[in-house]
Amino acid sequence: MTLTKGAMLSLVAITGLVFLLLYGPLLVPIVSSFFTLDHGSILWDQPSLESYAALSRNETILEAVTNTLMVGAAAVVLALIMGMVMALHYCSGRSASREIMQFVIFLPFLMPPMVTGLSLLVFFREIDFDRSLVTVTIGHTVFILTLAYRTIVVRLQSLELGIIEASYDLGATNWQTFRYILLPSLRGALIGAAVLCFALSFDETMITILVTGPDSTLPVLLWAMTRLGFPPDVNALVTLVLALTTLMCLVAAWQLLPREMIVEEAN
Amino acid sequence: MLLTSQKRQGATTFLMPLIAYGLPLFFIVAPFAGFLFYSFFWVEGGVMHYDLTLLNYLRFFVDAIFLPVMLKTCLLCLGVAVLTVVFGYPVAFLLASLRGRLRYALLILVLVPLLMSYVIKIYAIRNILGGNGLLNKALLWLGMIDEPLKFFVFNLNAVLLALTVLLIPFAVLPIFLSLERIPRNLLEASVDLGASRLQTFFRIILPMSLPGVISALTFVFVLAIGDFLTPQMVGGQSGFTFGRIIYSQFGTAFNWPFGAALSAILALLVIPVIALGARFNRKRGSA
Repeated sequence: MTLTKGAMLSLVAITGLVFLLLYGPLLVPIVSSFFTLDHGSILWDQPSLESYAALSRNETILEAVTNTLMVGAAAVVLALIMGMVMALHYCSGRSASREIMQFVIFLPFLMPPMVTGLSLLVFFREIDFDRSLVTVTIGHTVFILTLAYRTIVVRLQSLELGIIEASYDLGATNWQTFRYILLPSLRGALIGAAVLCFALSFDETMITILVTGPDSTLPVLLWAMTRLGFPPDVNALVTLVLALTTLMCLVAAWQLLPREMIVEEAN
Repeated sequence: MLLTSQKRQGATTFLMPLIAYGLPLFFIVAPFAGFLFYSFFWVEGGVMHYDLTLLNYLRFFVDAIFLPVMLKTCLLCLGVAVLTVVFGYPVAFLLASLRGRLRYALLILVLVPLLMSYVIKIYAIRNILGGNGLLNKALLWLGMIDEPLKFFVFNLNAVLLALTVLLIPFAVLPIFLSLERIPRNLLEASVDLGASRLQTFFRIILPMSLPGVISALTFVFVLAIGDFLTPQMVGGQSGFTFGRIIYSQFGTAFNWPFGAALSAILALLVIPVIALGARFNRKRGSA
């Protein structure tokens, strides 16, 4: 249906307002990062990259960033491997136990993060497991597993069964079928899931805050910093993170959307 | 069926189910079940008592503080859900009426803020909403008000606004997906049969996008009710929500079993909402 000019204009106006709401709060730190700050107000005639230089010297923030990246990488690898095994198990038969497994995998994602985080907190305390980056990694893995699992299951279910049957007919073992048939067809789904999972892990705050130990990830450090207000280097950090996440999103979108769909839409 | 070779191998017959059932059992079922169990313990003078009681649940219903806060929180989150749909629907509609790369580029731009630092966003929103914040300054400068407005400073209204801004993308996505699935020939048929644009919208598009709207409402409601950081940051003294009460049981109040009981009540509350959303999702899938 084609829209009338008036309808189109009002839709564009509302969308503009929504974009202002979405990006407005981020605009302040981003713009500030390129100027000299004096007691929190921007000196417009003094553009400077000083906040980026300060960021490169801020050991606390850099350490938190390193922690966040390590936790993210570990959680993504764990979630992908577990998600893959669980997805293969789910798709290789039908049974009530498989449905229950799937429900359990979805649970931490469906429940409010607070409930998941508190459950893990109590769990770790009762089994006398000290809170550290390991517990944070476990929390992240449990949380992003749903996404990894779901992405892989969807792709597995859309596969042509013929090529798998052919592989078996030609005498391939399970492992060979997995290595040479399934894994290559899952490549796009795996990359897309990895990027999305990493992005989720990178900014996971509510579970992390509950299960973190003395070493913290970036969101927890930022949360602690809000009490005193952010130093200018945080502005630089926000800008860099926004640039990076946008890039990651584009990669993920590119990998997840089937090529033909984009081409077809473009024509 | 996948991986069902006739030559059955040890690795796939034993290892795969072991991982597929063992790990979720240990890392998901055990913590959740343990947490539920915890809610039947009790604490006195900072000492845990590991015998079962219903006192925690009783306290929730008897004590005059908790039920009203919970009701207020539910209304707040319902408000957030409705507001995000009001803002999200037109955006989704515009996206769905666009074609080609522009459509997906804009969709990604709607979703990108979700991945931006949550803490920085709420902090920025607090600075914008504050008594001396950008919003009040802008309104003063425009001459629309004479003195700074107070009704969105550190109270539940601030929480409502902040959560709405944070959660709009979650409303846009499901509505967009349901709008995208409406077959074009239905709209053409409607126009061919002489329906006006408005009639086509209200008779065809709106009803067919309703599952997306319900998904959006349930999504946003569940996310909003589980958030304890946003109310903590922008809610001030009066903006007390259910999430904050639970969080405080694990901090200052130090009553973990009571916190567990409140969490169980929260979980019970969101389950029907999630089920409602899932029902509409499934319907859409089979259509």
